[in-house]
Amino acid sequence: MPGNHVKAWIMKLFGRAPATDAMDCHEVGALLQHYLDGHIDAERARRIEEHLDDCRRCGMEAETYERIKVTLAAHRPEVPPESVERLRAFGERLARGEDPSTP
Amino acid sequence: MQRPATGDTAFERFVLPEIEVLLRVANSLTRNHAEAEDLVQDTLIRAYRGIDGFDGRHPRAWLLTILRNTHINRNRRRRPELLRDPDAAFDRLAAAPSDDEADATVDHELDVEIVRALDELDDRFRRVIELVDVDGLSYAEAAEVLAVPVGTVMSRLHRARSRIRDRLDRAGLAPRSHM
Ligand SMILES: [Zn+2]
Repeated sequence: MPGNHVKAWIMKLFGRAPATDAMDCHEVGALLQHYLDGHIDAERARRIEEHLDDCRRCGMEAETYERIKVTLAAHRPEVPPESVERLRAFGERLARGEDPSTP
Repeated sequence: MQRPATGDTAFERFVLPEIEVLLRVANSLTRNHAEAEDLVQDTLIRAYRGIDGFDGRHPRAWLLTILRNTHINRNRRRRPELLRDPDAAFDRLAAAPSDDEADATVDHELDVEIVRALDELDDRFRRVIELVDVDGLSYAEAAEVLAVPVGTVMSRLHRARSRIRDRLDRAGLAPRSHM
């Protein structure tokens, strides 16, 4: 992948090529959001977690973003159940080929 | 156009199970329960008319596209006075019963700040957060609703989150490292 190639080249240029398969702060920063959304393969997730455990700064960063995500999900507004019920009944009448607006 | 009442029409199989998700997204788009219900109703009618041409793949994405187009059409027909109420989400949260524990108070403060930060985002950033983080849509589904490429959803989402994060930081509520 050309992106990886360029990245490797830049990291070499700046002398930050990781010795092992460990990720550095920049790599983790670039992937953090995808990681938190669960859009990343298990192998890369493992390497990110390794870094988050070792690096306090990135660990804190991840914690903050996780907190934001969890809070937003927790404050998902209720959809009124009676609204869902009405719409379902409406849909069922449609499916039966009836006039949907008259129960 | 009589259809058999077998409970196994394509419409029943693909559309009815998505009603709750549609209503959630409609709420995010309209910020008004009655309006959202009407929007989903119109969406169901359009989906019913279009079901014969639907190939059965990705029903949610297909329905979200219909929902988005229906929303645009409905807005064209009305005065743009139905603006979102920026305080609604905050009021809902502020009214949440607070816990006795000190921890809960700090948590509550943080929650309030997060929701406030969300409400203060520009529309295009706020929408994407609402669809993905609040409504639980995938990037691709949010892209359908917003009619933008998936890459745009991701970049807006990431920028939006970092704005919220910066705000927590300024309020002294973000966890800090002491290095
Ligand atoms: Zn780091």
